[in-house]
Amino acid sequence: MSQSELALRGTAGAFRLDVEVAWTERVAVLFGPSGAGKTTLLEAILGLRRNMRGRVCVAGEWLEDSARGLFVPVEERGLGWVPQDPTLLPHLSVRGNLRFGQRRAGADGAPLLDRAIEVLELGELLDRRVDELSGGERRRVALARALASAPRAVLLDEPLAALDLPLRARVLPFLLRVRDELGLPMLYITHDPNEAMLIGDVAVVLSAGRVIARGAPREILWSQAVLPFAQALGVENVLEARAQGGTRVETSRGLKLVVPAELPAGAALRLGLRAEEILLAAEPLGLISARNVLAVTVASCEREAGQALVHLDTGAEPLVARVTAAAAEALSLARGAKIYAVIKAQSLRPL
Amino acid sequence: MTGADVLAMTTLTLRVGVVAIALAFLPALGLGFWLARREFRGKAFVGALIALPMLLPPVAVGLGLLLLCGRRGPLHPLFQALGVELPFTWWAASVAAGLVGFPFFARACEQAFSEVEPRFEQLARSLGYTRGATFLRVTLPLARRGVLYGAVLAFTRGLGEFGATAVVAGIQPGRTETLALGIWSRIEQGDDAGALALCAASFSLALAATTLAEGWLRRAPRARGTPRP
Repeated sequence: MSQSELALRGTAGAFRLDVEVAWTERVAVLFGPSGAGKTTLLEAILGLRRNMRGRVCVAGEWLEDSARGLFVPVEERGLGWVPQDPTLLPHLSVRGNLRFGQRRAGADGAPLLDRAIEVLELGELLDRRVDELSGGERRRVALARALASAPRAVLLDEPLAALDLPLRARVLPFLLRVRDELGLPMLYITHDPNEAMLIGDVAVVLSAGRVIARGAPREILWSQAVLPFAQALGVENVLEARAQGGTRVETSRGLKLVVPAELPAGAALRLGLRAEEILLAAEPLGLISARNVLAVTVASCEREAGQALVHLDTGAEPLVARVTAAAAEALSLARGAKIYAVIKAQSLRPL
Repeated sequence: MTGADVLAMTTLTLRVGVVAIALAFLPALGLGFWLARREFRGKAFVGALIALPMLLPPVAVGLGLLLLCGRRGPLHPLFQALGVELPFTWWAASVAAGLVGFPFFARACEQAFSEVEPRFEQLARSLGYTRGATFLRVTLPLARRGVLYGAVLAFTRGLGEFGATAVVAGIQPGRTETLALGIWSRIEQGDDAGALALCAASFSLALAATTLAEGWLRRAPRARGTPRP
């Protein structure tokens, strides 16, 4: 299999990326929490970030080498990019979007496009307008458009991230079919460990702009090397806790929580809590099914790509919540804001 | 004044307006795109410069044009080389109309382009489209409503242009006398009926242009460049 190599350094605003990694497997997963720099790295590979310096080689093809003065422009890199937001062109129909992708491949792209339409089951959708599509359909069209451009590799940026669970289950088989039937090199970004294990031949774990591990997904994602980087597990909150009898636990830093199942008192456990599973409320809620309602203070609120990562000070254990930027706006989330964090017992999962 | 006179003046006004928009089109598009996509020092100053023809008394704009492009003006040889005799011809009326309409046009273009999410352009580039092809196939189609809106605004502003045109083109019946100039001459001559007839022609022209554009804007699917999940 052909070699891929990334050695990139640079800053994007306050963010520093410093990555050096190589792999030969066909399907690589770039794995890490929100804010780890996955999308920034992907954009650098695409050639959209000229302030990143270093080397980029994708599937045996050199695209960038600052030392040699090589910088292949975006339009000549031949990569099939499927952005996190499908970015379907709203002035074109589904067919128009697919043809838009096919142009680079020319006449050779026709069989490719037909194959992509078949594998992704888009035949029925061709004459639709893109604003009539569901979230899952939009992603399939974006993927087909990338495939129709005869790319030398496909770059997918969290293709399942914004989909709800049933929709994920419907889109995932298509991704696996593309992976298995088209045989293209793939770079797949995700913050979901299950997805990483399912899709990837190799996983590159990114945290705070650096590669912290690289290897077979099954071995690496739960290894001791990665576990301390709690955020890299896609479980942004990892809590060391001890059972207090019944369903009550207390974390090592003194945060008292209710978990879904009764545990023998004194048992030690490690709980994972995903940032998007913490609800934030401006005012105390009345009677509510969620078992954990904490009065917290916002320590900081970082906005990025339509989302907001909210660091919470609970007085004991710090927590990270993720909400949409619009929600952060509506709740006026800023340092010092006094709010309530609502956590379902079911969201606290033993690791 | 006969019906043929009204028709001739209306045709001349239309021709002046269309040529004015054609002259302003590329500069407005280019400047609008540049302002929408680039951050630089002195951007506010450039913005103010563009707004000038809108803010100055049109007569002053006309005088400026005359000084620049008149027989002794620095730009006169350029127009001569192009084979265009500018001062006191309908060309001058077009340039004047284009210039006073330009701020509206360029602003509308800037606004329209800044509403197109750069993500769409990046995506097109990644699929092999050059900057130019991306502009033509993605940016412009997505911004077309705003661009058209700006063109109509500038066109209708140009139709009513009086002060700058009077100075740089003169009021010459049959040659440079557009509807706006014609109305003024009729009032001067005490021909109220003639002035009113020309007013009606002006009104119809502006209404027709705006109705056509509105109709097109309403028919064209709304293609605002905001991505959605």
